[in-house]
Amino acid sequence: MRIGDAKQTYLADEAIWTSSTQKIWFALLLAVLLAFPFMASSYLLYLGCLVGIAVISTTGLNILTGYTGLISLGQAGFMGVGAYTVAWLSLNTGLPFPVTLLAAGLLAAAVGVLVGLPSLRVKGLYLAIATLAASVFLHFIFAEWEPVTGGMEGLSLEPAHLFGLEFRSDFAMYFIIVPLAVLALFGAKNLFRTRVGRAFIAIRDRDISAEILGIPLLKYKLMSFALSSFYAGIAGGLFAYFYRVVTPESFPLSMSIFYLAAVIVGGMGNLLGGVLGAAFMTLVPEALKLLTAVMTPIWPNAPVFMSPMLEIIFGALIVGFLIFEPHGLAEIWRRVRRFFHLWPFRS
Amino acid sequence: MFNQLMQKGRRLAGIGSVVAALGLAAPVMAQDKDPIVFGGSIPLSGVFAFAGIHLHAGLTDYTNWLNDQGGINGHPVEYVMEDTAYEVDRSVAAFKKISGNENLATYYGDSTGFMKAIAAEVNEMNSVLMSGASFATALTNNEQYPYQFIPGPNYSQMFGIILEYIASQGEEGDMPTVAFVYSDTEFGKDPIENGKARAAELGIEVVEEIVTKPGSVDVSAEVLKMRRARPDYVVFHGYVLSPINEFMVQMRQMGLDTQFMGTFWSSDKLIIDKMGEDADGYMGVMPYNYYDSEEGGPMLDALRAQAEKSDPEAGYRPTGYMQGWFNAMVWTEVVKRTLDAGKELTGDNMAEALASIKDWDTGGIIGIPVTVKDMSFPVGRIWRVNASEGRYEPVSDWIHLD
Amino acid sequence: MDWLFFGEISLAGLAMGGLYALIALGFVIIYKATRVINFAIGEIMMFAAYLFLAFAGGMEISPWVAVPLAVLGGALLGGVIEKTMIRPMLGESPISVVMVTIGIASILVGLVELIWTADPQLLPSFLPREPVFIGELYLAPKIAYGFLIGMAMLILYLLYFRFSRGGVALRATASDQAAAYSMGINVRRVFNLAWVFGSLAASLAGILVAATGGLSPQFGIIGLSVLVVVIVGGLDSILGALIAGVFIGWLETVAGAYLGGEYRMPATFAVLAVILVFKPYGLFGTHEIERV
Repeated sequence: MRIGDAKQTYLADEAIWTSSTQKIWFALLLAVLLAFPFMASSYLLYLGCLVGIAVISTTGLNILTGYTGLISLGQAGFMGVGAYTVAWLSLNTGLPFPVTLLAAGLLAAAVGVLVGLPSLRVKGLYLAIATLAASVFLHFIFAEWEPVTGGMEGLSLEPAHLFGLEFRSDFAMYFIIVPLAVLALFGAKNLFRTRVGRAFIAIRDRDISAEILGIPLLKYKLMSFALSSFYAGIAGGLFAYFYRVVTPESFPLSMSIFYLAAVIVGGMGNLLGGVLGAAFMTLVPEALKLLTAVMTPIWPNAPVFMSPMLEIIFGALIVGFLIFEPHGLAEIWRRVRRFFHLWPFRS
Repeated sequence: MFNQLMQKGRRLAGIGSVVAALGLAAPVMAQDKDPIVFGGSIPLSGVFAFAGIHLHAGLTDYTNWLNDQGGINGHPVEYVMEDTAYEVDRSVAAFKKISGNENLATYYGDSTGFMKAIAAEVNEMNSVLMSGASFATALTNNEQYPYQFIPGPNYSQMFGIILEYIASQGEEGDMPTVAFVYSDTEFGKDPIENGKARAAELGIEVVEEIVTKPGSVDVSAEVLKMRRARPDYVVFHGYVLSPINEFMVQMRQMGLDTQFMGTFWSSDKLIIDKMGEDADGYMGVMPYNYYDSEEGGPMLDALRAQAEKSDPEAGYRPTGYMQGWFNAMVWTEVVKRTLDAGKELTGDNMAEALASIKDWDTGGIIGIPVTVKDMSFPVGRIWRVNASEGRYEPVSDWIHLD
Repeated sequence: MDWLFFGEISLAGLAMGGLYALIALGFVIIYKATRVINFAIGEIMMFAAYLFLAFAGGMEISPWVAVPLAVLGGALLGGVIEKTMIRPMLGESPISVVMVTIGIASILVGLVELIWTADPQLLPSFLPREPVFIGELYLAPKIAYGFLIGMAMLILYLLYFRFSRGGVALRATASDQAAAYSMGINVRRVFNLAWVFGSLAASLAGILVAATGGLSPQFGIIGLSVLVVVIVGGLDSILGALIAGVFIGWLETVAGAYLGGEYRMPATFAVLAVILVFKPYGLFGTHEIERV
């Protein structure tokens, strides 16, 4: 049983670390993350990297959709911008990865602002459709601007490098992806302790009221777009380094929907939710595959049904969470923690 | 009883092999030699499942047949696969899982996207030779994809074979005209540039070029363009079914006497099954004999016998089955040549062994001896649908590009 | 410029546009009554088309019986979706509701793959196959007859909404929910009815479109084109849906014919982007005034 901590200042209320227990758990988590690549099989390592990339992108979308209340169907497109930036830069300039990734984030952010511009006049669902239009245009550019994007063939790139070190394997990439994911989460966490982050939340809760309170809507909405696509750009850049090939077909509309689903299932407007959602959605297909492997002796046709089942589960998760658990996995997690906090006095 | 089943299930899950679970696994024989492992990312579900299920059957049946023959130089062969639902990231996950657990020699990849995404890793491993469902022209680039080959002609070569056939129907100075219809995908655009260049060489005029979205679209407007271009031949690429049917039906309704042709993945029985009488006269390029063709040969007979044995009910086996079988046949040949030369099964050695294949007799799977060129088998034959018989019949000799 | 060619292309485009108008009508009915943007409309169309395939192809029922059956099936599906998955979301933010419809779309795709596999399919042909000539202009028979059937349905709908009791209730609910409620209109029932009627229109269009273009689990992508139509026309305007439907269908076809198939989507989405910037609520949509 843990006793709640009384907060006496607003500063304390905003603090990231509220107790030493929390610090210990976090240190433990970091240790596990650090030890993971040394013990995991190549398969688990691969999944770990995938989850890491998904966490970054989901956190970005969470800033836009979960915290600012702007739904976006363009996340995959923004990731594509990042991926192509990294691919082009690494092919044509050979710059080290911190530079290319930063460029990827910035360019994606610029595109994000451009896409967010209609928010000057439209909002809500109309805006969602503007982002859909953006993803159509981006796909078109990826496919047709051959001199830069390599057309339908796409681009193959060299491994990420820094100071002569090359990050060829998943093992090496893990040490880029996971620290960046942790950094991304800390960045987002701090964002929502600032005026900007709080302005986002105010816009989400009621945009007109927010405006009356002195928050210039356009400016903050565009900032939210920029930040969100910056995250997407970084995730896309990592994607490019990870597979070392980028094609227009790497970023379909279904990928945007995947990230939306990750945000919803994890819990909108909750960073931990984003992490849980990203991990959960990435691992569901693999878990289902394990399940089919168990099922096949009893029901030999099981593998044939995996893909349709996956579509159904994917949709049912979105619908089910929205209807029954709108705060997502994060809320479930909180309930579980609460149970242990109060145990054995209340169960 | 139930407990037993569950136990079995848990054991299989532990191995992580669906194949074993499917009950089709190779019976590993009691031999002392290490098994040689064929791996595969197979789309048993998802949009490519119509072919994936048969690819899987072809690979499985071949492995069983090979083990009955004593394996490769006494080494038993194991085939280990995972379902991918035709998603690139799941295909990669399957590869990592299988390559982590097994000592892989060769691997079946289910899409061009996967072949490209895994290339960097395969190149560094230098221990696996890959082929698969993709006939992408890019994969014949030996510098970029040294350990990936194509179990037939690549898409550009398929166009080459088709164009050669068309040229043979005309005369110098009076060549038939042709139109290309392809989908707006990597798959669809693959051979178009090379195809146009080849047509120019042969003196065939490309009178129309039409790009469509893949799958279900209305093509009435595109058909109108055809009505003006009046090509003698239309070559489709990048489709499985729609909109080939719509072009054929509507152009015939307009009274055009155009001939229609397609590449490997659009030359299966599916076209006949779904289109019925409308499919009559459609032509496809196919590097392998169809299951129900009149050709014979020791390997083709073995294939039919094994197919009959593994599933007596199935009857006709689609081109995917032939493709899966042939992939495994090439792997076997490559592994055998490498072992015979006393070399280790590295990527380099296997690629070398593959390149050494010359005038190879495939026992009737392909009608003529084949020679590997740039990691592909540039050979094929034009077949035409006879709708009343419900099958494809050859209309050309085997064409081997050099 | 070949005017005959342009005329034929335009005709084909307009005929396709007629079907878009029918789908858009289904979309607008649902939106007007319930304020739900239905991202699953393409998948509802797909489901109805598969039902038709099962009835006419699998069970070999005459197409003229199978079409109404499949359309009713699609309508029923719409009703069930509303009852089970949209009703519980009543009062939630529109964004959440939209995401529910995205989830529903995914479920429907999975169901279709589960029942009919992911293989591409062709519908048994049930429309006459003789070419249609309008003066000099050639029109493919499938789209010509598809257009006629679609238009007949559309006119039926417009008459129904104008004159029938249910139609009046629907329009009353659309213009003021609270007032409609106090006048004794069963608003819940109207919601359900709107989904049934909206899906019905979409289902018929789905069968007609699938009859020309073939059917696969990716069929629902057509929903994106419809989204463009309703945004351009104005989400809550039936007139807008009709005009924009015909226009977008025409534009898509002409762009595809003259520029190439890869320009179809960008062309229509470019119109969409322009509309969003200059006329955010569409050509005929109601400008919403929000108050705190």
